[in-house]
Amino acid sequence: MNLLLVGCSFKNTPIAMREKLAFDGPRLSAGLLEINSRYGCEVAILSTCNRVELYLAKQDSPVPLTADLICEFLGEYHQVPVEQLKQHIYAKDAQETIKHLFRVTSSLDSLIVGEGQIAGQVKKTYDDAKTQGTAGPILHPLFQNALQVAKRVRTETGISRGHVSVSSVAVDYVREVFDRFDDKTVLVIGAGKMGELTLKHLRELSPQRILVTNRSPEKAQAVAAGCGGQSVPWEQLDDALVQADIVLSTTGAPEPIMTRRRFNDILAKRSGGTIVILDIAVPRDFDPRIHDGDRACLFNIDDLMRIREQTLADRKKHIAPAESIVDQEVKRFLKDTKRRSHGPIIAKLTQEFEARRREIVAQLLAKLNGKLSEPDKAYIEGAFRLLQNKFLHGPISALAEDAPEPGSHTLLEALRKLFRLEE
Amino acid sequence: MNGMPAALSRVTVFCFAASYAIALALELWHAFRPRPIVRYASLGFGAAGLFAHAIYVILQPFPLSSTFGSVLFLALILAVFYFYGAVHHRKLAWGIFVLPLVLGLVLLATAFQPTNGQDEVTSGIFGFRGEHFWGAVHGILLLLAAVGVCVGFLASVMYFVQLYRLRAKISPTHGVRLWNLERIEAMNRRAILCSFPLLTIGLIVGIALQVHRGEAWVGFSNPKVLSSLGLWVVFAILLYLRYAVHARGRQLALWTMAAFALLVIALLFAHPFANGGAS
Repeated sequence: MNLLLVGCSFKNTPIAMREKLAFDGPRLSAGLLEINSRYGCEVAILSTCNRVELYLAKQDSPVPLTADLICEFLGEYHQVPVEQLKQHIYAKDAQETIKHLFRVTSSLDSLIVGEGQIAGQVKKTYDDAKTQGTAGPILHPLFQNALQVAKRVRTETGISRGHVSVSSVAVDYVREVFDRFDDKTVLVIGAGKMGELTLKHLRELSPQRILVTNRSPEKAQAVAAGCGGQSVPWEQLDDALVQADIVLSTTGAPEPIMTRRRFNDILAKRSGGTIVILDIAVPRDFDPRIHDGDRACLFNIDDLMRIREQTLADRKKHIAPAESIVDQEVKRFLKDTKRRSHGPIIAKLTQEFEARRREIVAQLLAKLNGKLSEPDKAYIEGAFRLLQNKFLHGPISALAEDAPEPGSHTLLEALRKLFRLEE
Repeated sequence: MNGMPAALSRVTVFCFAASYAIALALELWHAFRPRPIVRYASLGFGAAGLFAHAIYVILQPFPLSSTFGSVLFLALILAVFYFYGAVHHRKLAWGIFVLPLVLGLVLLATAFQPTNGQDEVTSGIFGFRGEHFWGAVHGILLLLAAVGVCVGFLASVMYFVQLYRLRAKISPTHGVRLWNLERIEAMNRRAILCSFPLLTIGLIVGIALQVHRGEAWVGFSNPKVLSSLGLWVVFAILLYLRYAVHARGRQLALWTMAAFALLVIALLFAHPFANGGAS
């Protein structure tokens, strides 16, 4: 198998160079078609913010694909000096390429191990290659298998369990308390930049209404306009807290804006259920003693960061089992590929025997013409077919079971010579 | 039982109790070290237990009026509830909560298992003495109400576990997976709402049957009657707290647990209409 990977990633290439080498938008399809037509090979390009990798394959070619050739193309295509490019580029042979793609798709080679985006990006890479017609008999099974391996790793290990962004962890906690959000009120306190992403995630839950309050009414109105909410005067903060189910607090206040005593008064006025407070301000806006896990669930930035670190540490425990799945799947893929490569010789062998059998049976039946009934003829034909199958069973089974190391085709060659099978 | 496959007739309480116990052990294993194969094995043992349990109840129909029959039948309905939940809510630690209750009820039943020579089997599942139809209605209504109490109890246990997780700020992806607080509360509410009318009508039918027979009132000294009425009162309090006072989920969960305790007491005593009439 003539398979090659040429690329660079966040591990060895600065972002400035990765940006220069990126295949984005129309450059991707043009690049795929250009490589395909110039080198007559299958090609797929994985271009993300963390890596640019070209997967190239050419079936039964006497001239192997080389990394130098592809570097020259990359330099020319992206207007980057080849010598500068070569410092960052890595190249991998067939077996390494398979393992690398399986690891990348399973998110074992990612900046944040276990992140879920990369499998989708690999799928897009494959879809683009399919659309442009640059994926062929080698890349089709390679990418299909890579996606299946990623799925297996995801389901059989806990590598992708949990969230690692603070805003996602915050929303996870909200989901631990509430089941539906179309009857819930979200209160945003302050207009800090840190809260923007969390507010975006909260908006995705489609709450009934969003209230925004800030010491500066203009800022409150601006945030409310941006998230489809309504602004509330700062003086009515306590009333807003009485109505709220979820609170996102991101003020820049140097002291807590909500003491325990003040909050207890608010709790006494509340008729609703649990209130979830996401205090992601530094310094904290809410007194941590407010948290009782029943009437008020308060999660501050330290809690959310702790969960993030815990999730990352947990994911590390699953790396070894995930790597072992990848190793198993690489072996299986190589074995299957080699079996598939024996297909043409098996077909040739069967065709040869089939032709000889028909010739001999035809001669025999011609000689016994008139002396045999139709059932007798059918019986003779069946007997010869059975004999052919019995003869072929051994060699075909041996060939199917044979999975030699690259470069050794002893049994295949022996069969070619023994049965005089031409290419 | 003529013509019945010999293997099925050999099913004992131990068969399904052991299956449930293995299913529970596998569920616990899966909760802390998730493996799909362990999950499927757990479901397999759960299904085997459920099958054996159903066969046992069908082939040896002890009357609902007996402690053994009623508890075993209640455990069977809860085992169906477990299996349905385990299949439909695969990500939740469903079995960890439901299976101990099923196992507990099966073990409770064995304490009242009739010894050889007792003729309870002959009267059938709904074998109440006398007015067969109304007796059966009374038995079924109380049994379904008991199912509701058990579901409410399970929801309450889940509620407290989830409350503990939130209080301790345990990562949502760590430990046993549960529904969110709001959904658990809704499950408890529905269980109470369904059980209360069933319990009320069941008790009214029971009193009417007693009056119809013209027998002397068994009296409040009968522990089964006393605990059943206590159960009804607790349910009435629960509904009052829920809809009139808008009490918090924690308070409702505690009252539901009290209702379950009364149910267990009621189950421990034989029905006053059971053969012999004595409790």
